[in-house]
Amino acid sequence: MSYSFSPENLKQIELLKKRYPSLHALNLPLLWMAQYQDGYISLEAIDEISKITTLAPMEVYRVATFYTMFKLEKPKKLLVSVCKTLSCKLRGSDEILEYLKNKDVEIEHVECLGSCGTSPVMQIQDKYYEELTCNKVDDILKGFL
Amino acid sequence: MSLIKVTVDDKTYEVENGSLLIDLLIQEDVHVPYFCYHKALGADGNCRMCMVEIEGQKRPQIACDTPVKDGMIVYSKGNKLPIKKIRKDILELELINHPVDCPVCDQAGECSLQEYYMEYGLHESHMYGLEKVLLRKKIDIGSNVLLDQERCVLCARCTRFTDKITHTHELGIVGRGDEACVTVMPGRRLDNPYAMNVVDLCPVGALTSKDFRFVQRVWFLDSNESVCTGCAKNCSIYIDHNKLKYQDEKIYRFRPRENKDVNGFFICDEGRLSYKKLFEDRVLNSSHVNEKDIIKSSIEKASNIAILVGASLFNEEIEMVKEFAHKISASLYCPQDIYIDEEFEDDMLRSKYKVANIKTIQNMGIKDSLPKAYDLVINFDHPSVVHVDAKEIISFQTYKNDLESTLTIPIASYVEKSGSFTNIDGVTQHVDKVIECDKKTKTISEWFERLEL
Amino acid sequence: MRDARLVSKRFSLENSHTLKVAKENGVYDEALKRAYSLEPLEIIEIIKQSGLRGKGGGGAPAGDKWELMPQDDDKPSFLAVNCDESEPGTFKDRQIISKDPHLLIEGILITCRAIKARHAYIYIRGEYKQFQDILQSAIDEAYADGLLKECDITIHRGAGAYICGEKSALLESMEGKRGHPRLKPKQKECEWYFGNPTLVNNVETIASVPYIIEHGAEGYREYGTEKSPGTMLFAMSGHVKNPGVYEVEFGTGMLDYIEHFGGGILDDKKLKAVIPGGASTDILTADEVKVAKLDYESMRSIGSALGTGGMIVMDEDTNMVEALKNLLEFYHEESCGQCTPCREGTGWSNKLVGKILDGKGSSEDIDKLLEISDTMNGKTICVFAPAVSSVINSFIKKFRDEFEAYNKEALI
Repeated sequence: MSYSFSPENLKQIELLKKRYPSLHALNLPLLWMAQYQDGYISLEAIDEISKITTLAPMEVYRVATFYTMFKLEKPKKLLVSVCKTLSCKLRGSDEILEYLKNKDVEIEHVECLGSCGTSPVMQIQDKYYEELTCNKVDDILKGFL
Repeated sequence: MSLIKVTVDDKTYEVENGSLLIDLLIQEDVHVPYFCYHKALGADGNCRMCMVEIEGQKRPQIACDTPVKDGMIVYSKGNKLPIKKIRKDILELELINHPVDCPVCDQAGECSLQEYYMEYGLHESHMYGLEKVLLRKKIDIGSNVLLDQERCVLCARCTRFTDKITHTHELGIVGRGDEACVTVMPGRRLDNPYAMNVVDLCPVGALTSKDFRFVQRVWFLDSNESVCTGCAKNCSIYIDHNKLKYQDEKIYRFRPRENKDVNGFFICDEGRLSYKKLFEDRVLNSSHVNEKDIIKSSIEKASNIAILVGASLFNEEIEMVKEFAHKISASLYCPQDIYIDEEFEDDMLRSKYKVANIKTIQNMGIKDSLPKAYDLVINFDHPSVVHVDAKEIISFQTYKNDLESTLTIPIASYVEKSGSFTNIDGVTQHVDKVIECDKKTKTISEWFERLEL
Repeated sequence: MRDARLVSKRFSLENSHTLKVAKENGVYDEALKRAYSLEPLEIIEIIKQSGLRGKGGGGAPAGDKWELMPQDDDKPSFLAVNCDESEPGTFKDRQIISKDPHLLIEGILITCRAIKARHAYIYIRGEYKQFQDILQSAIDEAYADGLLKECDITIHRGAGAYICGEKSALLESMEGKRGHPRLKPKQKECEWYFGNPTLVNNVETIASVPYIIEHGAEGYREYGTEKSPGTMLFAMSGHVKNPGVYEVEFGTGMLDYIEHFGGGILDDKKLKAVIPGGASTDILTADEVKVAKLDYESMRSIGSALGTGGMIVMDEDTNMVEALKNLLEFYHEESCGQCTPCREGTGWSNKLVGKILDGKGSSEDIDKLLEISDTMNGKTICVFAPAVSSVINSFIKKFRDEFEAYNKEALI
């Protein structure tokens, strides 16, 4: 069962190839592309990326397992990433985490998101939701669930 | 290629400028522990065990990443820096997540972690109340290799082997931090002709041979230097054998031996496992007891005699057969095509000639064809004897075949005798007898003596 | 405290991220003109004279790094801008790329001229997608306006690894590999990207370049101290009334900063401790904070480091054992796992502090923590482990009684 990138993605890949001195550098951009296209990174996608970048499949696979944002399995529920590091903890991230346990979401504990001045923070689908309170969490989740 | 002077522990050595410090330490037997360095794979700098003190540097340096400089002064046990304590502490960190599998681990007795623990460690465990990292054990990754992720020290030797040496990239370290582990991709296997070398490369029991699993404890094995006869490369090996009580001497495994002129550091899997068939289907007894009379009368009767000489024999034995042929005015033959397997050859070690001593046959210019229309053909261990058409055939052979001969006489395999082989590149290696069976089979020279040939 | 907004002066303007507003307010003007009138080596000389120091946490003189780049090489040179900002307590670079991206682009153009690079990559952490989009639209505007004829700019997105902020790990990641830091060379040399000479600098460092070129080294040195000239975007978070990013000149007193910009401690409680430069620096007690000044030398003299300038402020009710546990979980998660002391040491120390928190620890466990910390210091491939070591050492040295209070002997 072979994998293929969408036509728009293939066009984008051709543009990207011109911007790097080696095809190997396309590893991360293509992993992102596959994740946006399918919601996760499959082994077939990895084999396809291996062909385009001329890296061995194991090399692509190793990179995919190294970075926390790459998902090798499709998340079953809405993925909510909550920052648990010190600055957020000092401003009440524990309470937000506790509150989210009752919601129908998949909670991911992540490390510092760089929102320390506007904590607590959670990230859903590439967007930051900052200065959270439990009420705000309800409002935000209404838009998704 | 300039030589410079380097002092290690108050002794001065002359060494090539720019070479690695760790090579000097290994060569001069200055004992420094290391996991990730390997001469064939280079340095990775990840185990941090080979740290030594270098005069002028305030921090300890890893010897595997330090090129020597003229006038360098090295303290392998430390002078101002507590190198011994540093080694002990780093070793402790290697051990905290290592399972205490020694009683069931095949690597025991040849395990770097065990040796370093006895020499530099002897710690007591501080892990009470804490959980070790748990990973997968006893994974069959293919090619007779079993992987135990918990025992792994993440030296990356195996992954570097499949990357740089075989270029097959089956193994890799996935994950991050202390959850990192060696694995193959889901549903894929370790699958290349040199795969089992990772078992030797692995300094601990993370990668072990399925073939050797639970078979024998290594401290009972005797090791002898020899060569592999699976093909004409004659890779240098160690033969590990043992004689258990009331049993015959047995070979348990082949391991590669370093030889920069022949095979470097590795051997192929087929050669490694070729020890199994050394004692299978052997001819044990002569087909007739009065060998001397039969041979004498056959030679006298025949008006033309051909001699088939096999390429599995030692140089000395082939020479002996040649002299015998001259003595009885016989023609010498050795058809080579039965030994050739074109697909077996590769650009690493494997030769297309699947026999040890084809080079000597070729050097001597022996006729490369099957003898035809002869009264008598005397065979010395050539497998093509089954295709020979002659009035009488007398065959000295190691292994059984379908031949209908006048007389079949058993001869010893190469591990039971001493002699030399010349490999396909022209390198000659001498091997000594490794084992002696209870029911001793004679060698060719012993038969010549006995039969007065 | 005088106004020292050399980098952040356009942040509060409406649509400050657009080309129109940027151009109307001084970007792509005097600095760029002057840079194009100078030779590359002259630009490097000005940066050296200005004493600009790297703002990614190391504080190494930027001019010295620029000088290591070859001026005549067959191989192409590259610039890699480090926007992997993942140090806990640090959130300054995201302000630059979302509020004044054109300033960064101008800085890139000048830097590339100085090091003769034709392509700059901005390595941005994966989580910053919404800020990356703003930066990308600014780059598109710059392309459309013909500003990027001499130099291409490509954004390269990371995917969630703190260690990729280390400069050699960043380049490994850009080469399509795992973010494993490289073994350090024996002599000073530039970095390498696919074997080509590359300069790696933090976003704020590059964003400081236009001001220096426009006003000269002397203009930059009017701010700050002699050894730490200029300004920095210091960040403040934790138990303060007004957390945020505020630019001040070096040499400002830390307590003054916290009171002036931060508005003092939240709920008017008492200050207990501050981690001064992002999580990887030695923690300071309230007494030490009183005498601390925000510059590299002063911070070193009181036994800590300026780092990224991200201050995490903790009030009197903060549990220091929980705080250390929180940080060690961060380090345990983010260790790349390449070398033994860091990989095992971060995991073990995390578990040990957890054991102490559960009331099952002892004095020996605290001593063991210090021993592990010593093993991680100075014996690894990169500086990640020494940072963990300094965190553990400073917490235990300065707040040992809180750890001892958890010990099972004390509970008996």
